Amino acid sequence: MPDEEPSVLKHLARLSTIGVTLVAATAIGLAIGYGLDRWLGTSPWLTLLFTLFGIAAGFVNLFRDVGLMGPGQK
Amino acid sequence: MATETGKPATGGKGLWIFLGILAVLNIAIGLWLEPRQVALEHPPLLQVPNFLAFLGVPGQWLPAHVTFTWLVMAVLVVLGALGTRALRPVPGPLQNVAEVVIEAFGGLLDQMIGRQGRQFLPFIGTAGLFILTSNLLGNIPGFTPPTANWNTTVALALTVFLYYNWCGIRKHGPLNYLKHFCGPVWWLAPLMFPIEFIGHLARPVSLSIRLFGNMFGEESVITLLLSLIWLVMPYLIWLGVMLPLSLFTAAVQTFIFIMLSMVYIAGAVEEGHGEEHH
Repeated sequence: MPDEEPSVLKHLARLSTIGVTLVAATAIGLAIGYGLDRWLGTSPWLTLLFTLFGIAAGFVNLFRDVGLMGPGQK
Repeated sequence: MATETGKPATGGKGLWIFLGILAVLNIAIGLWLEPRQVALEHPPLLQVPNFLAFLGVPGQWLPAHVTFTWLVMAVLVVLGALGTRALRPVPGPLQNVAEVVIEAFGGLLDQMIGRQGRQFLPFIGTAGLFILTSNLLGNIPGFTPPTANWNTTVALALTVFLYYNWCGIRKHGPLNYLKHFCGPVWWLAPLMFPIEFIGHLARPVSLSIRLFGNMFGEESVITLLLSLIWLVMPYLIWLGVMLPLSLFTAAVQTFIFIMLSMVYIAGAVEEGHGEEHH
């Protein structure tokens, strides 16, 4: 491994996740909602609900990575 | 010897003559090659006939990322076998390198996870060495890194995902582990559980997309650069800019991947500790 300062790279590693994670969480929420709607036939509602969950999950991860909330920060 | 004494003058002139000859040669070769552009697109250096056709694998050859994955595996297995064949208290060169590498991974684990970090050394070390070797393979002309294919990185990220969840379940038990998903307050649980669940599902996606995107983008840029023009410039740019850059990217992407794996494992293993104290 490179000999750089580990803490800087550690922050780089965590901060490099936030962009993709925000999008990925929203997309996964949308996919889950869409799949559940297809399965249960409750047309727009679960898609909406789980997309909102996905957006919320993305922002929860964002705030955690930035260090504003949640456990496990060092 | 003359270059030692009169370095600025003769060295500079020699360099320009060398570059001029190189440019003329390149133009000549390029003029000869240009109508035959198809000949430049060669297949990957390592091709294995498709002996898995009965399993439903299409095509005449096996996909390149699969064969190069096998190549990386073979390299790692051979190096590992050679490095540990005769372990001695005073290590030989190969054992020395292996010890340095393992100590580097172990130090990272100590730093990130703490005292119990060393038990994850086999997994983290294997993943890190595999990704690093794959990424570095892309710098050899004619080889494509297996990590430049999304299938490989998805497999890696899913392995990490299953592994850290399994570590958490093994540490806390299934019910206690699921409780972490429900947040600190019980009446928030219906809201927090889907959010945490989706957040965890997003992790392998972001892990795999980052590694794949970096490696694939780098490969594409180098391919474009070398196929765009046939003057001497692309090789100079490749040697001077792209090669150092891709060596750096290979190391950094490996580092980020195993670093995030360690963060996830630490989160799965440690979170319960904090809650038990409350």
